[in-house]
Amino acid sequence: MPKGWLRPISILTVACLVGICGGLVGVGGGTLLVPLLVLLLGFEQHRAQGTSLIALVPPTGLLAFLAYYHAHEVNIKVGLLVIPGVFSGGLVGGMIATRLSAKEMRKTFAVLLFMLGAWQAASALLR
Amino acid sequence: MASRLRRERRFRPRPVPMHILIVVLIGLGAGLLVGLMGIGGGMVVVPALVYLLGMDQHVAQGTSLFMLLPPLGLGALWEYWKKREVDFGAGVICAGGFFLGGYFGGLVAVGLSSRALQAIFGFFLMSAALLLWRQARRPPKPGIPHA
Repeated sequence: MPKGWLRPISILTVACLVGICGGLVGVGGGTLLVPLLVLLLGFEQHRAQGTSLIALVPPTGLLAFLAYYHAHEVNIKVGLLVIPGVFSGGLVGGMIATRLSAKEMRKTFAVLLFMLGAWQAASALLR
Repeated sequence: MASRLRRERRFRPRPVPMHILIVVLIGLGAGLLVGLMGIGGGMVVVPALVYLLGMDQHVAQGTSLFMLLPPLGLGALWEYWKKREVDFGAGVICAGGFFLGGYFGGLVAVGLSSRALQAIFGFFLMSAALLLWRQARRPPKPGIPHA
């Protein structure tokens, strides 16, 4: 864990890199931020997740969204439809997570995610 | 006008009610993960839109970013906040980094082909999965009951 003035600088560097990846693949960035906060900066697991959620409160993807919007690569209707589900699901998920030691669930999710990623990469490369 | 036509050709929705139901379910599933893992949800929304609705990769990613504009994690954040599991200063710094980094990532993405973008997305998911796995295997620190 970096100390003193090094800490904010290392956090900012990590967040910038995560932001670039996030804009590139159209996701919020919490996906990479949580593990990096834990593994690189020594955050405790629940604290890393709560901190990542704080970082997602302001519309941090705004500039990335505008880049897609100008290229007409946005379907606003579908986006609006997803929002209520994500919000209410998030509330329930947060309740479960603060009561749960999520280690096994996290591993299961990691395996599923890896297979999903492999499927996406393979279907793109073999097309 | 040309751009509007292009968008419509790329995204062909199924008959309306089913389509709406799927989208709402995608949102619910993504939301659960948002709360459980402290992540943004776009990671599951993008492949779901591509595979379940047949959306183009670029449009799915742009739509995911649009969905993330309002503070969707607020409900989940409230639960963490009550348990004092939030580092406010670090969160604010991260927000600044996302903001800047996201712009450049977005600029690069719109210039790429959908196929290249899908491959990149796949590798992104795989590396996120590896990081999650390592994180889960890390032994909990002494004195901290949960991790």
